[in-house]
Amino acid sequence: MSETPKTEHVYDGIEEYDNPLPGWWKWLFIVSIIFCPFYWMFYHGGASGRSVEDIYNVALAENTRLQFAEIGELKLDEPTILRFMAKPSWLKVGESVFRSNCVSCHGRAGEGKVGPNLTDDEYKNVTHLADIASVINNGAGNGAMPKWSNRLVVNEIVLVAAYVATLRGTHAEGGRPPEGRAIAPWPDPIAEPELPPEDPPKNQLTESP
Amino acid sequence: MDTLVANESEQPDDSHAKPNVSNAQLETFSYDDSIVRLFSIATIAWALVATVVGVIVALLLVMPTLGTGLPWLSFGRLRPLHTNAAIFAFAGNAIFAAVYYSTQRLCKARMWSDTLSQIHFWGWQLIIVLAAITLPLGYSQGREYAELEWPIDILIAIIWLFVFGGNFMMTLIKRRERHMYVALWFYIATIVTVAVLHVFNNLVIPAGLLKGYSVYAGVQDAFMQWWYGHNAVAFFLTTPFLGLMYYFLPKAAERPVFSYRLSIIHFWSLVFIYIWAGPHHLHYTALPEWASTLGMLFSVMLWMPSWGGMINGLLTLRGAWHKVAADPVLKFFVVGVTFYGMATFEGPMLSIKSVNALSHYTDWTIAHVHAGALGWNGFMAFGMLYWLLPRIFQAKVWSEKLVSLHFWIGTIGILLYIIPIYAAGLMQGLMWRAMDETGNLSYPDFIETVQSIVPLWWLRVIGGLFYVAGIVMLVINALMTWMGRPATYDVPVYTAPRLTPEYQDDPASTTSPLDDVPVLDLAKKLDTFGKMGWHRRWERLPVMFTVLTTLAVVIATLFELIPTFLIRSNVPTIATVEPYTPLELAGRHLYVSEGCYNCHSQMIRPIVSETKRYGEYSKPGEFIYDRPFQWGSRRIGPDLAREGGRQSSYWHWEHFKNPEDMSPGSVMPSYEHLLEKDLNFDEIAPHVRAAAYLGAQYSDEDLNDTSAVAYRQAERIAAEIVSQGGPPLTFEKQAVALIAYLQRVGIDLFRTPEPAAEPAAAEPAVEAGASDSQTPAPDQDQSE
Repeated sequence: MSETPKTEHVYDGIEEYDNPLPGWWKWLFIVSIIFCPFYWMFYHGGASGRSVEDIYNVALAENTRLQFAEIGELKLDEPTILRFMAKPSWLKVGESVFRSNCVSCHGRAGEGKVGPNLTDDEYKNVTHLADIASVINNGAGNGAMPKWSNRLVVNEIVLVAAYVATLRGTHAEGGRPPEGRAIAPWPDPIAEPELPPEDPPKNQLTESP
Repeated sequence: MDTLVANESEQPDDSHAKPNVSNAQLETFSYDDSIVRLFSIATIAWALVATVVGVIVALLLVMPTLGTGLPWLSFGRLRPLHTNAAIFAFAGNAIFAAVYYSTQRLCKARMWSDTLSQIHFWGWQLIIVLAAITLPLGYSQGREYAELEWPIDILIAIIWLFVFGGNFMMTLIKRRERHMYVALWFYIATIVTVAVLHVFNNLVIPAGLLKGYSVYAGVQDAFMQWWYGHNAVAFFLTTPFLGLMYYFLPKAAERPVFSYRLSIIHFWSLVFIYIWAGPHHLHYTALPEWASTLGMLFSVMLWMPSWGGMINGLLTLRGAWHKVAADPVLKFFVVGVTFYGMATFEGPMLSIKSVNALSHYTDWTIAHVHAGALGWNGFMAFGMLYWLLPRIFQAKVWSEKLVSLHFWIGTIGILLYIIPIYAAGLMQGLMWRAMDETGNLSYPDFIETVQSIVPLWWLRVIGGLFYVAGIVMLVINALMTWMGRPATYDVPVYTAPRLTPEYQDDPASTTSPLDDVPVLDLAKKLDTFGKMGWHRRWERLPVMFTVLTTLAVVIATLFELIPTFLIRSNVPTIATVEPYTPLELAGRHLYVSEGCYNCHSQMIRPIVSETKRYGEYSKPGEFIYDRPFQWGSRRIGPDLAREGGRQSSYWHWEHFKNPEDMSPGSVMPSYEHLLEKDLNFDEIAPHVRAAAYLGAQYSDEDLNDTSAVAYRQAERIAAEIVSQGGPPLTFEKQAVALIAYLQRVGIDLFRTPEPAAEPAAAEPAVEAGASDSQTPAPDQDQSE
């Protein structure tokens, strides 16, 4: 320390050493500057597929494949809904959609809050099974039930409709009193054994969207 | 003024005369320490207020019903009060105390005008009091750390630039010390840059005495706001505190500063680079990607310039560590500088896009800023105050033990605050993005992610209380020290020669030891350059130094700002995006006033886990009528960018009444006052006129018969609420306007550009139920 050269500066008793810049400091600074043009060229040099939007689109396609490659594009009709009511693993997807979007009005168990109870046998806007899907898709009650067609993809609507259909008759506690009218029970489920989960071969997925 | 002329026209090559002290006229002067006393007392008082409000807002998060029935005691209104009090009241007064004490001594001159000093002090306190009144009452510009409305903004500009800046500059010009010490450079940068930031971020078109509409909209407003917001951190909480450190740390340690050359390099690189970094607050948003990348890269480059200050602070203590062990003032400084080093490492790290994708909108940011504010700003201020107390009150500090206790309880408080909040940030961020093996969100229910961090929020309350306890000790100690003051303060008189016009450079800085060595001329020149003699000259020229600092800041700003405003492709137009209706505008005003942006973002990033939770990601063109932008920075509640049509209007009504009923576990407070208070329809017109003046298209009816237009929409929404099962006669209530706005947010993107024949187009909620009910077509954006 005694060898460190001092500048002759004195300000209100404060002196200054004339130490050089610490080497590691100087070199880290230089490296951080050199890094920048390379990073810029990599992401903004015109190469395709590196923008945030491109990366998102790839990830979204990948996610869609992961979710739905096995079942393809579903139709919003009664047989489809009925088919998925008998597939517990797909009902879980429906449940996930339900929990993201529906619980604020219908309650976590479907017991109903400002939206009707989904766990009894009475329905306001549903007579047939497929009506659930169209209520979700188009909304109902002058906007009391929002339309979901531009928020959910068709597969999600089918699966959440199937999930909602299975809530019928669970009579969750503390629910809203029945509204609408009692309707005929759902048709019998289509007996179709669920495929073992090892089926979706990876190479088959590559050609979808 | 002749001193000014003399200084500025000084030309070292002109004269070979040695500075001749005996010829110079000796002047006597004393320092104005009464202004330092005032600012120190204000610092202590506002430290207590700011942190107590901090504890209150922390409590409001864990006990949301605490403020029920008291609208001014809601998180959304008090959080801006907390941040403004911490930054502008506590840190601000600490800066002024430091500047007024050190500048006089570093310049060997009394402040140029005692009157200006007094106006500065009382003017600034008035600003703070005005803030403390208007913010809880809901007068807010809705932009973080720039919430104060335009009349207060004008007052700030006058007090800051003309009163404080003018007084400071004239003191520099009239100084008796030939060169300006590094602390003064940082003060100059602070004054200049804060003035530029403040003025250009707060340009508004008034719509009444306490409401202004930003001249910028959407993406550009966001860019300006975070250019300001980031550099408020840089030039209000960093540079002045570095100046403070450069004066008070070597004074307290009685050691020379580690490196003069490091001071120069890190000062200029800090000032030039900091100003670019703002866009890192807007990664993955609708801000153009190039701007975001620029923000990130300059943040990475900022790492070492920031650390230059830390190194110069900590290495100044080399050979004085035994003093640190004994002196609580130095302990405060060491911990303060260490937190500075931590925070300025973390800052560049958080600015890396992939890290930011996780951290943004979470408590991680909150922990980061509190490490900086409590650790760096708080502890540097406390260290300074404890060093100043015996000097300004001319009495021994009442209790050294209490100072030590403050240090320890404060340190524990900081750790108890930040560690749980870091954990909360990480945890919630990871929960938001977690996907199960089927490609679905693992935690689809937002409230589940909130509930999981509530216990950590409780720990924060305890940490905050520790920190407040430390400040209470400071209050007691300062009070008791003040009680022991002498009957009259001793005012020492100093003498120093006034600066002579001619000055000879130190020959050592213009000659090189290589002069006699056979090397290239270039090498000799480089060697001389490395001695920084050129900078030594700048240090004699305060006006030129200020101009150069201003240029560094302004040029860097313009490089980023001009393309943001001029390149049209930055904000591609969306044909279906239309201005808000008068009622929606009134609702948006309520949204801003209540401070909803403090908990809800309106910006969905193009990240799969995010679009699955909230819907299609936000596009730049959606925000062209948003003044101010309301993208938010923290999701205490869910994002609202696609809220329009997501819930029924009746649901919103019930939700405002008591969020817990609709969403069990919600931490949102009740907004029952919005259901009870009537909306003043006659006051909507100025808002519409301001929006129209700024370029939004409105019909003559909208402009001239505003209240009737708004009334009709309110009636439609009220009818909707009734038909959805809600109460009657809601159309005059404020909540209806807010619902009108919320039902509009984010829906224009999906509107099909129909032939303009249908007047019902401005009526989203009804249209949503009625139109195209036969086509269950999948949405084009999500199914790609």
